[in-house]
Amino acid sequence: MLLAAGLAAGLAAAPSAFAADGAAAAWWLWPLGLFVLCFFLGILAVIAGVGGGVLFVPIVASFFPFHLDYVRGAGLVLALTGTLAAGPSLLRSGLASLRLVMPLALAGSVFSLAGAVIGFALPVNVVQTALGATIIAVAVLLWVAKVAEDERVHADALGRLLGLSGEFHDAAGGRTAWRTRHTALGIAAFGGIGFVGGLFGLGAGWANVPALNLLMGVPLKLAVGTSGLAISLINSSAAWVYIGRGALLPMIAMPSILGVMLGARIGARLLHGMPSALVRHIVIVVLAVAGARALARGLGLWV
Amino acid sequence: MSQPRSEHDPQERYARWLELGSRLVFVFGCVALGLYLTGLLPALVPVRDLPRLWTLPAGEFLRATQAPAGFEWIGFLRYGDYLNVAAIAGFSLLSMVCTVRVVPAFLKNGERLHALLAALEALVLLAAALNLFPGAH
Repeated sequence: MLLAAGLAAGLAAAPSAFAADGAAAAWWLWPLGLFVLCFFLGILAVIAGVGGGVLFVPIVASFFPFHLDYVRGAGLVLALTGTLAAGPSLLRSGLASLRLVMPLALAGSVFSLAGAVIGFALPVNVVQTALGATIIAVAVLLWVAKVAEDERVHADALGRLLGLSGEFHDAAGGRTAWRTRHTALGIAAFGGIGFVGGLFGLGAGWANVPALNLLMGVPLKLAVGTSGLAISLINSSAAWVYIGRGALLPMIAMPSILGVMLGARIGARLLHGMPSALVRHIVIVVLAVAGARALARGLGLWV
Repeated sequence: MSQPRSEHDPQERYARWLELGSRLVFVFGCVALGLYLTGLLPALVPVRDLPRLWTLPAGEFLRATQAPAGFEWIGFLRYGDYLNVAAIAGFSLLSMVCTVRVVPAFLKNGERLHALLAALEALVLLAAALNLFPGAH
């Protein structure tokens, strides 16, 4: 309830200050509203196990007056900074594998760059429509995605060549060995996911984790950690396109980054006491609504 | 994989550089934002004009404000808004620095293929940072 109230407050705080004639008397309410919204998005994202970027872009694009260029830029950097902060501990605990990340991030980075460049070449209504459709697809994916665990994965030739195997220790002290299957398909999937991430400014944990877990047979915990590390590399390439095009407005990006980082820290502390399944369902509904709004905006049905 | 790692282990080296770099850039970003929001550093684009301007596409924003494009922002770091762009660029630069740092560590371990992949990734990130790719301009 508190989370829902906070989200509503963030969405409602700023717009009234400036709705009438676009006067800028209370310009500071916008970054403040963004900070409050992003703080609660950060909490929600951690508890629901999704990235902040995938929530940020459709919600802010739908309910704030910023041009989509700046929302995509901020979303991309927001996803990047969130994963940078978690990277060192994930690497040290073995819950992210640098060796597994390298080939995936290489494909993702190249296509993320391409996605970002193409995103600036397309008309904004086309990008908005595609964003809405993608977000609705993400909501469906989160709804139906299953988890593959305790599977006996037989390493394929490319996985063996790249040395994509190892083991990690879970919290209970057990060892879990891992190796990859369908490695070429997995690399191709990361190329496609990188393209979508660069195009829309999304973090791509919603797609990376199923690609690693369901397609490549990587255990879920390692998939989640490795996905974060991959996002930090993949989004770094596209971020330069947004910086070079002037699509990273500090007044939009910085409060969002700080809000999500702070919210994520709180979310991590609340993680064990919250009904994560319920929060995940709330996130799916929020994504579906924001996706539908973005789609309607892109199609000119509800501007 | 959870045993203590040697500081020469590529994964540990990456983690160490990422940890140090992200802390430095985070502190820099907080200071830059404080200087910008308090007005201690002047803004190239006045904050009161932003609500009128942030509804424009990025290209039109640059034309309307005569703000720097590409890498020209480096010459504008005396302005609070572009000091914040530098902080964002710092976050984007971190992964490249870390990736470059693990190439020799992979080579030392005899992992030539991973060294090659890391070097290629660093090159892609460098090309992105320098806008050296088709459609960049």
